Amino acid sequence: MTTASASASGPVPGHGGRGASGPATVTATDLSLRFGGTRALDGVSLRLSHGVTGLLGPNGAGKTTLLRVLATAVPPDGGRFTALGHDPGTPSGRLALRRTLGYLPQNPGFHPDFTAFDFVDYVAILKELTDRTARLGEVRRVLEAVDLSEVRGKRLKRLSGGMRQRVALAAALVGDPGFLVLDEPTVGLDPEQRMRFRELIAQAGEGRTVLLSTHQTEDVAMLCHRVVVLARGRVRFEGAPAELTARAAGRVWSSAERDPNALAGWRTGMGAFRNVGDPPKGADLVEPTLEDGYLLVLDGDDAAVGA
Amino acid sequence: MSTATSTITEPTPALAEPPRERHRARAVLALARFEARELLLQVPVLLTFALYLGYVALRLMGRDGMDDYPVLNTVDRQTQTEPLLFAVAVFICCNAAALRSRKSNTVRQFDVLAMEPWRRILAHVLSVIPYAALTALVVAGEFGLEALKPGAIGHGSVGELAVGPLTVLLAGVMGVLLATLLPSSFVPILATIPLYLLFVVASAAEDEGSRQGWLSPVLFVARSGGDPVPSDLLGRPAGWHAVYAAGVCAVLVCVALLRSGGRTRAVKAAAVLGLAVTAAGAAGQLSCDTKGLEAARRTAFDTPQKVQSCARHGRSTYCSFDEWSGVRSDWAEVVDRVQSAAGGTAAQAGLTVRQRIYIGDQVEVDGALDPSTTPGEVTVGTRWGGNRVPEFAVGAATVLVGGSEDMTTQETCDDARPVTVMWLVLSTDPTPMATFRNMRLGDSVSGPDEVLAPTNGLSLTGPQTTVIRELLERPRAVMTARVKAHWAQLTSASTTTAQAAALLGVKAPEEAVKCEE
Repeated sequence: MTTASASASGPVPGHGGRGASGPATVTATDLSLRFGGTRALDGVSLRLSHGVTGLLGPNGAGKTTLLRVLATAVPPDGGRFTALGHDPGTPSGRLALRRTLGYLPQNPGFHPDFTAFDFVDYVAILKELTDRTARLGEVRRVLEAVDLSEVRGKRLKRLSGGMRQRVALAAALVGDPGFLVLDEPTVGLDPEQRMRFRELIAQAGEGRTVLLSTHQTEDVAMLCHRVVVLARGRVRFEGAPAELTARAAGRVWSSAERDPNALAGWRTGMGAFRNVGDPPKGADLVEPTLEDGYLLVLDGDDAAVGA
Repeated sequence: MSTATSTITEPTPALAEPPRERHRARAVLALARFEARELLLQVPVLLTFALYLGYVALRLMGRDGMDDYPVLNTVDRQTQTEPLLFAVAVFICCNAAALRSRKSNTVRQFDVLAMEPWRRILAHVLSVIPYAALTALVVAGEFGLEALKPGAIGHGSVGELAVGPLTVLLAGVMGVLLATLLPSSFVPILATIPLYLLFVVASAAEDEGSRQGWLSPVLFVARSGGDPVPSDLLGRPAGWHAVYAAGVCAVLVCVALLRSGGRTRAVKAAAVLGLAVTAAGAAGQLSCDTKGLEAARRTAFDTPQKVQSCARHGRSTYCSFDEWSGVRSDWAEVVDRVQSAAGGTAAQAGLTVRQRIYIGDQVEVDGALDPSTTPGEVTVGTRWGGNRVPEFAVGAATVLVGGSEDMTTQETCDDARPVTVMWLVLSTDPTPMATFRNMRLGDSVSGPDEVLAPTNGLSLTGPQTTVIRELLERPRAVMTARVKAHWAQLTSASTTTAQAAALLGVKAPEEAVKCEE
């Protein structure tokens, strides 16, 4: 059963939402990218504006590929995009965009023998911040922003995974990028660290365009003013999180046994089954969540959850 | 984990301005400074630099008397191989630094930053310059301290002095280039020994007279143990070699930049310029006038008087190659001292001290000079200080006693003359017994032995040694007077050692001497 109602070839027009702000700062039109026989991106079009936009999708949906394209790490095979007024299709546009881009890849690397300060300073130099005094001040600022001032002199190999992740975020933030691309930054973090990260990302989204790829629908629910759902290299939904949640209104029900006709269903902690899909008549409808909406937007194969 | 809220405020809007090439060049310099500082924190770099510095310091503190009279055209070459271990460390650590991103998986993060990979490679190369400069500073300090010694002889060559720092620069550049060609941290470790062997083989070709050996950017100086020769006889195109090595560095840098994507007009132009400089350097070093050099060497060996200048000190004349003119007064002091103990006409004789060098197939090879047959001519070599001083005194005393150095080719087994020669040398020496021991090959003061001299050594039999020792134990003034009084007999080939002992009033040795026919 397919519940996705968004156009596969283009974005669903935005309807505003929490923190929605101003005109589009990043516009992608018909982006496509192929790796061998695999279509990693298949005509992706989207518009981002200031604030945090969540990017949801199952594994292999093309999220990381899309982020890498938008971060100018790989050029698309087709389509184009502009970010903050720069066209990365040209060398000067690409350079201009890179000078105002912050990118935190999935599982970022670290130079273990560098101190936190040196690592961020190194990135600041690579971002071509050349005024030494201003640069060092900027490094101190971002380390303070991610609450790592106390350990800035420690070598990265001596820091915890969460601290290293914050160092990577500081490195992405250094130089005050106008466009921040974050690829699953909260993976592997404990709940407390994840909460701290959400706080930082929310702050980073003030006055910036932030694209946050995540598997965590709670992250999107708590942080994002817009959400894009990607599956099989295509945009399945683009809109406000509330809108995505609303997609599941009347399509989530509770039952004593798993409903075989449900798109997805699982036993909750209370013992009853929560089913998502097309409810039978007289079903005990329950309040939908963003995750329910997300599951419904995806194809049945992508969304299936075992009992 | 702290959950304290901090606010991202007042960021530095450093990226608002449009990028200009000058701005971007400043960024590369900033990265080069960063990388240079990182290199300084690498244990191999620190350790080998400390070893290098320690070795140089120890060498400069050497207490050998000859160290007071450094020949600067050999000192400059000594500086070339001293930083080799340091260069190896720079090679390995620069390679590791250039591979750091790959090893630490930061390539994905850094590849979307403003500074392109080729500019980062340029920064790695530039980060080596402080280490080359540091090496240049050590080389300059080492050479400068030697050159400032009052006894320093001759002059050095900037080209020779540049080789050490250029070797360090080249090592760093090769480390970075290797990282772009074969990005594995094991490669430099595996490459070090083959590269070393390659350079050694190439340098060996140079040592054997093949000028192709100079195409090796790093030259390992062969230490033959031979005495120095005047700079113009070395035939070393050091200046051209420095140009060549600098050109090779530039070409390798450009290859690394082109490999990493820096296909800009400036890089391509620099590559062409580097190739031109390399070619010019190579041509310069290979196009030496070998025939002219060979002729000059022959002249210096066979008829040094044609190319030497002379000066008079007292009764004697001192002739040397120009670079040694400052040592003539030291030679004169020795001649005057030895002559002061002589008697007869020898006390007033005018000697000619002639500097001579041995040249075989090559220069600076270990070879013995034949004694001069010219009456009154004393040979002096190109080394001075330490044992070379009493050895020269032996030569001077031999000429005063025997008329010419030829005396050492004669049979003096049971002859008074070696005793007289040694008396002239040692009676005027402040530490005669120590000097006597040091001059003898066996480092002893008893039994038969050979005493070193600039040409043929002087053979001393056991009895002759005994008589010399006996003489040195007597009051110096008394014995000097007796030597002068019996000068004619003591310088006669027909006076035996026993007779000399009797004339001087010391106990004649009882041991029998068997002279070979």
